[in-house]
Amino acid sequence: MRRSDLGEFEEVVLLAVAALSPKAYSVVIAEELEQETGNSVSTGAVHAALQRLEQKGYLTSQLGEATAERGGRRKRLFTVTALGGRVLQEVRAVRNRLWDRILPNIRLEWS
Amino acid sequence: MKTPPCLADRLLTWLCAPHLREEVLGDLHERYVLRVQRWGETKARQRYWLDVLAYVRLSIIRRQPEEFPFRHAGSLFFLSPDMLRNYVKIALRNLLKNKSFNAINILGLTLGISCCLFILLWVLDEERVDKFHANEKTLYSLYQTITANGKVSGNYSTPVRYKDGPVFLVGNMKAAIPDIKYQAFYATGYELPWGHPETFQTGEKKFKLEGSRASSDFFRMFSYPILVGNAATALNDISSLAISRKMADLFFGSPQKAIGKSLRYENKLDFVVTAVFENLPAQNSLKFDFLINWEAQQKKLEWASNDFRTYVQLADNADVTTVETKINRFLQPQLDKNDRSIRIGLQRYGDQYLHGHFVNGKPEDGRIEYVRLFSGVAIFLLLIACVNFMNLATARSVKRAKEIGVRKVVGSSRLDLIGQFLGESLLLSFVAIVLSLLLMQLLLPAFNQFTGKQIESPVTQASFWGYATGLMVFTGLLSGSYPALFLSSLKPVRILKGVIQFTRSAVWFQQGLTVFQFVLSITLLVATLVISRQTSYVRNAHLGYDRENLLYIRIEGALMSKNNYLFFKDQLSKMPGIAMVDRSSEAPHSMGFVIDGEEGRKEDAISWEGKEKGQSVAFHPTSVGLDFVKLMNLKLAEGRDFSRANATDSTDAFLVNEEAVKQMGLKNPIGKWVSAWQKKGHIIGILKDYHTNSFHEPIKPLIVDVKEYEYFGVILVRTVAGQTREALASLESVYKELNPNYPFSYQFLDQEYEQLYRSEQVLAKLSNVFAALAIVISCLGLLGLIMFSIEQRTKEIGIRKVLGSSERQIVTLLSGNFFRLILIAFFIASPLAWFAMNRWLQGFAYRITVSWWIFALAGVSVVAITLLTISYQAIRAALMNPVTSLRSE
Repeated sequence: MRRSDLGEFEEVVLLAVAALSPKAYSVVIAEELEQETGNSVSTGAVHAALQRLEQKGYLTSQLGEATAERGGRRKRLFTVTALGGRVLQEVRAVRNRLWDRILPNIRLEWS
Repeated sequence: MKTPPCLADRLLTWLCAPHLREEVLGDLHERYVLRVQRWGETKARQRYWLDVLAYVRLSIIRRQPEEFPFRHAGSLFFLSPDMLRNYVKIALRNLLKNKSFNAINILGLTLGISCCLFILLWVLDEERVDKFHANEKTLYSLYQTITANGKVSGNYSTPVRYKDGPVFLVGNMKAAIPDIKYQAFYATGYELPWGHPETFQTGEKKFKLEGSRASSDFFRMFSYPILVGNAATALNDISSLAISRKMADLFFGSPQKAIGKSLRYENKLDFVVTAVFENLPAQNSLKFDFLINWEAQQKKLEWASNDFRTYVQLADNADVTTVETKINRFLQPQLDKNDRSIRIGLQRYGDQYLHGHFVNGKPEDGRIEYVRLFSGVAIFLLLIACVNFMNLATARSVKRAKEIGVRKVVGSSRLDLIGQFLGESLLLSFVAIVLSLLLMQLLLPAFNQFTGKQIESPVTQASFWGYATGLMVFTGLLSGSYPALFLSSLKPVRILKGVIQFTRSAVWFQQGLTVFQFVLSITLLVATLVISRQTSYVRNAHLGYDRENLLYIRIEGALMSKNNYLFFKDQLSKMPGIAMVDRSSEAPHSMGFVIDGEEGRKEDAISWEGKEKGQSVAFHPTSVGLDFVKLMNLKLAEGRDFSRANATDSTDAFLVNEEAVKQMGLKNPIGKWVSAWQKKGHIIGILKDYHTNSFHEPIKPLIVDVKEYEYFGVILVRTVAGQTREALASLESVYKELNPNYPFSYQFLDQEYEQLYRSEQVLAKLSNVFAALAIVISCLGLLGLIMFSIEQRTKEIGIRKVLGSSERQIVTLLSGNFFRLILIAFFIASPLAWFAMNRWLQGFAYRITVSWWIFALAGVSVVAITLLTISYQAIRAALMNPVTSLRSE
């Protein structure tokens, strides 16, 4: 698995989908990320990322129910595939390993 | 609740790929609502815009490659490969499923298209005649429009004044009118009244050939390829002679050997071969095997006819009407002052072949009428075939209605269906045209023989393929149009419920088409009957003289001297097989010479006792031997025949015919004096009218006098019936002995007489073929219709039989409707045919009347043919056991 397959934003979005599952769709993901990061996140960006992830096979989607706020339009609900899950874990493992190698005194300096 | 900015929505709807629109817009709207709650409307709207802009990215805009990519292209959907495959499959299945119907369709279309192709070939060939000359665009024929006594006439001849032979009034107009680049005179040596094939001789070789005379510019203007010699100077010299390759081969073996050699003409003049030209192409209207220098003709020879043609080649930028005016200005001062006015016109040389008949003094009609007629017939035949297709397809639509219903339900648009049906008919017409092309290739030699043309197979010409494709598309679209429109208009709900009913108008249309077919068939049949009746009438009618066992030879060579002629006559009369020998100044079946008072130049050539001033009668004059009347077996109405017993008969006696007496206005004509030129004499007898020309012309006044000898004319020989071979042998032996420098040739009068009706005979043959084709194609259609109608009514027939209907009633039921249609067609066709055929018959002075029985015969034969076509099917249906038909479900 090459690292370049997963951009930073994509990773966050993928994680958000996993966290919000089974009710993950672009609006809630964008809202969640805005809250979590404090930066404004457009649904357009999220939507594009979701498309890419789906294309890569990390996500699947199906159409969900329609609501009044959406003007009667259906939403597209995303779930993480097994492949997506494995990728997430791998990324996390890489990071954990790296974290673990950081010397404790350097960490102290940051905090 | 406030809605988000609609402009932004509109922008996004336009930008966003259709398959993403729903979720994208939904997301935006949902978030907008959240934001309004959080920040209020203004800010939410601003952010909304930003969010919309965030969607401006390729992945959103790019349209999805569609599973059915043509779905949204509207009418083009039916062009998608899958649908095309489906159409082809269905079409082929239909082809195979209904073999008999499709065979009928294809056969009909093939016949129609083949006929069209042949006529197309013929028309194209006709159009190409005379168009091969390099200067074709600037070549013109001179014609004159003559107004005399209020009558306007026209011909291609050149105005002349007679002074020791014709003087050509436009002779040196080339010098006076700079727009005329070249000018050539042309006259044939073989045209009537005095023309004939001329004899050439070198050493022992002597042949009769038909040729013409032309002035020196001739080969400069016309692109007849010169094999040896110089085109520019070929006809310059008075002794020059240009001959064809055929003639060069005949006399000298090859064109190269012929050049510079001398050829003896009619045993009196020597010509030197100055050029050899290639044998004339087929698409050429001037016919000649040799060309004699014009000057030689003027100074040393006698003219064959008064038809002197003038051709001019104009400068490239010359204006035709200006040149016409200039020629007329040049001509007018030279004309005699009398009540005749002559105006010169110019016609494109390439047009004169098709437009060579004069109407009101201008060349207009001509062969173009045949071109139009045949084109019309071809189109009609094709129409009949197309009608078959339409009729069958419409009738059979019941069978396909379910398919159409299903197609419509699953989303086929009307255009898709129209496309499908047109495609199917195109497929059929494609099959038909392939068959037609094969047929054409096969029958072309026979066709050439039939029409006397030399058309080559056109498969190498791109333009022909263009025409063929055009024909195919036309046929396909035409024959497919109505079924396509009709079938695609059916309502799916009703079809699928099983109720299919033709609307009144559809039934009307279908029956109308059948009527139309039979109108054409019956019209053609009547035409055929009338034409063949008329041709057999002119061929078998009694001409007033006995044309059997009669032959004639030209007086030429040694026979031109009195002693030789008398010796010949004397000798021949004693030979076996010969009944009688005499002479006449012209062949009696087609007398070309007319003394016409109106022409002015020989006003007083013929005069008679009691002739009123200004009275003018056109006469056929002829001088004959004493035995002519007996030899021809002519009947006298009054008076007596020429007789040797009366010494004065050879100087003083005239015979006239009844028509002459009528037109001269004589009472008690016997004994009245008449004068013809210098000869004055008395009428001794009245001949019963006999035909001196073809039946196209009315019998003209005839005046006959006795000249036991003349240096021109024909020798008439009456042979003993049944001894033609002996007679010919006798004739040949005497002729060879007496006239060794001329090849022996003779004509049978009855054969020559039939030659006068060559074009009618071709027309008769053609109309036979066309009528047969039209009837065959129509009957094919009828066969299809009855087969279909029986198929549809199998159950009905079964039930009727069970309930006690007889076979006869059922046959009547099945065929009655068709007979009604044919009856209607008959009543429409009869007046049409009557009108058309009467117009055709106007061309004959002597003609049959179009009587009722011709129509009756045509009607009865069509009914009989129809009966033959449908009765088998109808009777078979009627005889069917109702058990089988009712059980079939």
